[in-house]
Amino acid sequence: MAKKRLGRRGFLKVTGSASVLAAAAAAFPRGVFGATPKIKGPIKYGYQAVASGTLAGYGEFHKMGLLMAVEEVNAKGGIAGVKVETEFRDSTLKPDDAIKNCRYFVDSWGADFLGGIDSSGQVLAVAPLMPQLDKVLMVTHAATEKLNEEQVFKNGVKQIFRICSPTYQDGNAAAFIAKDLPAMKWATVSPKYEYGFTCWKMFQDTLKKMKPGVSFVAESFAPFGTTDFRSHINTIMDAQPDGLYSTEWAGELISFVKQAKEAGLFEKVKHVMFPVGAAMDVLEGTGSDMPDNIWISGRYYFQYPNSKMNNEFVAKFHKKWNHYPAYVSETAYSSVYALKAAVEKAGSKDTKAVIQALEGMEIDTPGGHRVFRKEDHQAMYEVPWGKTRSDPKYPFKTMGEQRVISARDFFNRPPFDGDRSMPPFQQG
Amino acid sequence: MQSIVHVLLAGLSSGMFIWLVASGLTLIFGVLGILNFAHGSFYMLGAYVCYTVVKVFAPHFYLGVLLGPLAVAAIGLVVERRFLRGVYHLALPYQLLLTFAFVLIFDNLVKIVWGAGSLTPPVPEALRGSVSIVGRKFPVYSLFIIAIGPLVALGLWALLERTWLGRTVRAAASDREMAAALGAPVPALYTGVFAFGAWLAALGGALAVPYVGLLAPGMGESIVIDAFIVAVIGGLGSLKGAFVGALVIGVISAFGTRFFPTFDMALTFLLMAAVLLVRPRGLFGAAA
Repeated sequence: MAKKRLGRRGFLKVTGSASVLAAAAAAFPRGVFGATPKIKGPIKYGYQAVASGTLAGYGEFHKMGLLMAVEEVNAKGGIAGVKVETEFRDSTLKPDDAIKNCRYFVDSWGADFLGGIDSSGQVLAVAPLMPQLDKVLMVTHAATEKLNEEQVFKNGVKQIFRICSPTYQDGNAAAFIAKDLPAMKWATVSPKYEYGFTCWKMFQDTLKKMKPGVSFVAESFAPFGTTDFRSHINTIMDAQPDGLYSTEWAGELISFVKQAKEAGLFEKVKHVMFPVGAAMDVLEGTGSDMPDNIWISGRYYFQYPNSKMNNEFVAKFHKKWNHYPAYVSETAYSSVYALKAAVEKAGSKDTKAVIQALEGMEIDTPGGHRVFRKEDHQAMYEVPWGKTRSDPKYPFKTMGEQRVISARDFFNRPPFDGDRSMPPFQQG
Repeated sequence: MQSIVHVLLAGLSSGMFIWLVASGLTLIFGVLGILNFAHGSFYMLGAYVCYTVVKVFAPHFYLGVLLGPLAVAAIGLVVERRFLRGVYHLALPYQLLLTFAFVLIFDNLVKIVWGAGSLTPPVPEALRGSVSIVGRKFPVYSLFIIAIGPLVALGLWALLERTWLGRTVRAAASDREMAAALGAPVPALYTGVFAFGAWLAALGGALAVPYVGLLAPGMGESIVIDAFIVAVIGGLGSLKGAFVGALVIGVISAFGTRFFPTFDMALTFLLMAAVLLVRPRGLFGAAA
């Protein structure tokens, strides 16, 4: 479907509302008409995440956060006094399905805002379409830095914002941790697609700059859907690195951890980093099989920050869903509040006004204080890296020793290096 | 040396694992002429039922391996009797569509019953841990899979070649009308073979549970593609072919991942293309 078709109903809506507007403008004196900025409701938020296949659990976690936020907002009078409606669709992880969902939401369902999307491939496919659909898309999971650096900043796709941390967390922040570890030879087992390649490259580039003499001795990329990591594990063990970095995630990370443990990998390689190892499904899925002293992180971790807002969020979430919030639950939840704040600030749900309101906007969320960087629409906030340990209070490993890398350090990357990576942060 | 041995072992175990799934797929095709997309779903259901049985009757893993496949065989029986039987006389696309519909139904059924998230299976106590082989750890469970594969192959061979039932099945497979005319209960045989094929898939699923390390809805979709490639290389319908094909694919892709990582995804498909060019009916496929 190359051309956007304007259906009969859509056509009537456009011409109909235009003529009503024209009539209204003629009937009312201009000042009076403009003075009462009542938003016409409801505000519709079309959300998509993967809800089928082996990663269907992610969609469930997205949905829990999304529904909880919408319920809360509506119970307190909605957004600017207008009710919020949401519809959740399966994104299936396929780029063309993500596009179809966006078109459906905007053309048929009448969405005011779009949200969700898990894979980097999907957001990069959707991005060129956004100026045409002209609705704000709040990305809550896909992490590729090409979205904010190329699509938003370079190509000027202003409709896209991202509330979750990008690959800077996986690649750059990881390198800040790795530089202080006594490991000089690093290797990786990572996904054989955009996300895996780009993170490993960023990790290497940043680490090389900070720690001369470091070497990268093996890389083994596993295709999407890999269940058997034993050959990849052999590759790593043959190379005898002292550090292992892996952006495997979800079920594949669970399989990898179990199989690596059986093969004795964690006894041979002392320093292991899993940038998305702190995801709730991974912690729950690996349970006691996750070794201690592995460095893990995520796009949100339920025990950080230790703020009133976050603690209440986690308690309420656990009571409601009988799960601790996964990172996609928090980003989905916070996306609703970010849109609420932006619409109320703009006094309108029009795309242009909301974009203006979101640019540079600061908001307190369960995951911490977020700032939407004006230039690339990327939310800047911090998620800790920490070492796994057993905690009798939880049936899974938690983060023990934690380190927080300052966002102004790991978001510091061309074209946003130097002063440009520094919006007004609250804490130093 | 250490590396070669371990890559070989990894290849053998993954090959035997694919064989468990491919055997039922190729058996059903050989006898019924049906390409069963839902085979991966039987695999998944076998894993899930085994999981639940082991949860309820912990820690009896073997009970799960026994009951899981039996339950799935019963489902297979219903699928054949109630649905497949209606499309035998129709063109191949209708059969594919029907079995594909079951993939969607079973995936969603699993999501409704067991939840969308992944589940962590228990590993039987006796098969836990690793042994040292040429100075590097190798999981006991993988050794167990390497041993199970040939046992299943041997059992199938004995059943088909050495029993009266096996001879009747082979007769029905080679000429349906003639076998029926000679008094073989062909419809019942078809049902039996389909249920048995489902049992094999589910056995693979039940045994796969500790091998893969987690259960998730849709877990059957990628394995069924591997099984299909293996069956095609071996010659669709040939059990011997599927066994050899599984070994070849398992070992070659293990070496590919280790030594030619850039091409490892293409390797199995290249091999399949090469085999089909030289022998269009697969390694052990029956001549036209």
